[in-house]
Amino acid sequence: MTKVAIDDETKLHLYRTMVRIRIFENEVRRLVKEGQVPARFGFYTGQEAVAAGVCAHLGLDDQIGSTHRPLGHLIAKGCNFKRLMAELCGKRTGFNKGKAGPYHAFDPSVGALGANGIVGGSVPMAAGYALAHQLRGDGGVSVAFFGEGASNQGGVQETLNLAACWSLPLVFTCENSSPEVQRMLGHEIDYPQLKIENVSERASAYGIPGSSHNGWSVEEVYDAAGRAISRARERGGPTLLEFKVHQIEGNLEGRLEAKEDEKIWCPIYNYGEELRAEGILNPELDQRIRDEEKAAVQEASSFAVRSLEPELMEAFSDVFSGGS
Amino acid sequence: MAGREISYGEAINEALRQEMRRDAEVILFGENVSSSWRVATRGLKEEFGRERVRDAPIAETSFIGMGVGAAILGIRPVVELMLVDFSLVAMDQIMNQMAKSHYMSGGAVEVPMTLRAIYGAGTSSGATHSEALYALFAHMPGIKVAIPSNPFDAKGLLISSIRDDDPVVFMEHRLLYRVKGPVPEEAYAVPLGVANLVREGSDVTVIATGAMVAQAAEAADELAPKVDIEVIDPRTIIPLDEEAILNSVRKTGRLVVVDEDYERCGFSAEVAAIAAEKAYGYLKAPITRVATPNVPLPYNPRLERHLLPDKEKLDRAIRAIL
Repeated sequence: MTKVAIDDETKLHLYRTMVRIRIFENEVRRLVKEGQVPARFGFYTGQEAVAAGVCAHLGLDDQIGSTHRPLGHLIAKGCNFKRLMAELCGKRTGFNKGKAGPYHAFDPSVGALGANGIVGGSVPMAAGYALAHQLRGDGGVSVAFFGEGASNQGGVQETLNLAACWSLPLVFTCENSSPEVQRMLGHEIDYPQLKIENVSERASAYGIPGSSHNGWSVEEVYDAAGRAISRARERGGPTLLEFKVHQIEGNLEGRLEAKEDEKIWCPIYNYGEELRAEGILNPELDQRIRDEEKAAVQEASSFAVRSLEPELMEAFSDVFSGGS
Repeated sequence: MAGREISYGEAINEALRQEMRRDAEVILFGENVSSSWRVATRGLKEEFGRERVRDAPIAETSFIGMGVGAAILGIRPVVELMLVDFSLVAMDQIMNQMAKSHYMSGGAVEVPMTLRAIYGAGTSSGATHSEALYALFAHMPGIKVAIPSNPFDAKGLLISSIRDDDPVVFMEHRLLYRVKGPVPEEAYAVPLGVANLVREGSDVTVIATGAMVAQAAEAADELAPKVDIEVIDPRTIIPLDEEAILNSVRKTGRLVVVDEDYERCGFSAEVAAIAAEKAYGYLKAPITRVATPNVPLPYNPRLERHLLPDKEKLDRAIRAIL
């Protein structure tokens, strides 16, 4: 399949988004260590190409549903850094007043509608966002991010079928983070959790297109996502995309650079090399991008740390609309 | 109230029709909702088209979750559960996503969704086709629960539920579907959280919901020469009109709760606890519950009747505390 041409500006946008996610997450790691972020949770390190490549095709009026590793999706979708960092710190200035944290963050202003604490839980909801667009005929789409573990959830399977039957403008985006070993990283399980090589093979069982891609190549992600999202916008119905990714979990000390043995899986390292070879990126520009993103993340971080805790009475509000 | 009489099922249909005419973003989906033999939704597909009235695959998790998502974007989905028992395959979407998205988001999103669930025993349908289960939903913070006991309330509460900005589980008793009663033709709202004083009395307060309301009223009539019974139908158990219940208990000093749901940790226990905590000094007799015992409902009709609360069991319970 021939790739669509990508202009230099878009290439740099994709690169910058990945750098932004990595820097942001490294700062979150620091805040976790310091106790400013009161919980441990999954990071997205090594998967940045997927969020960056997919969300580059989405506007503020398109929605995503996210996962247990939500920060990449939320940042790529355009969430405000300060309010996101404050939410992770549980502060009143967080966009969910400190009640959501990483697993339940919602920012409707940019269409980031739900990281989710239940594996696969956001996928049926993403079908609802797609249904709203279909009913309104506004050309909007939704993207459901989930992992290979979630692909076994009944709700995900049901939603593949439902979206196919109703031709919903929904792109199922599976990030398969254990492509070789067929098991869920972080879970010591003896049995394989998938009997098939590619999650995308499931698409044909529901009568929709599916394809598997290299998820550490941001241009490959951008290309595949662009086709699927255009298809959804043009009323062609849902697609199941699978991106193979490798989580780089040894990054707890806040490195931006991947270790030597991780470099083949690191989308930022790889894309930086590509862009330098193409003459689009040079060391000065690279440094400037990193400095600018770092400054923005630092600003968000100090905003979050300085922000006040919610009032105790806040625990009782928002059970129902109208505040009670 | 004089005037036109229609059935409970027709009242639900009328509420849906009027709300769908009023607001183009009210939509309806569920299993078999386009079927002509289902009273509550009959004719709606013909009037509003297959975009707004959709038959869903038999896959409750996906279509309930889809309702949650559509509601978050401001659509007003009315999602039908053919039987409330089937909610049990979709608990994540109901109890986590539908119930808690508003809270978890710190109020950033709302879920204005109505989940209509048909419920009720008495048709020899066995343990997974007969339950009430509304206490499950009432237990979870963030869900409102409406239980209409007559055609008037069915229409007015459904209209309120659809217009409400929170998720509402709307419980429709299958044996009430053919019961007729006066229902105004125009659209009207019965507010959520306001109890109905079914029958005024001074000796005993009976709290009854759904199909149990008629049982309570009949028991009260039969006991009338000897005992003056007050019957209150909360109409919604979340929000619950505690004041109506407590004021009545303070007046009568005796409380019986009749509830088709299971007794243990159920709605009847909740009402008993509220009365014990807030009106203890007024009680002249132990609070009594007449609810479905904590066993699954059997298929055999004699066994099923043996378990279910009804006016005879209520009658005995009332006599025991006089």
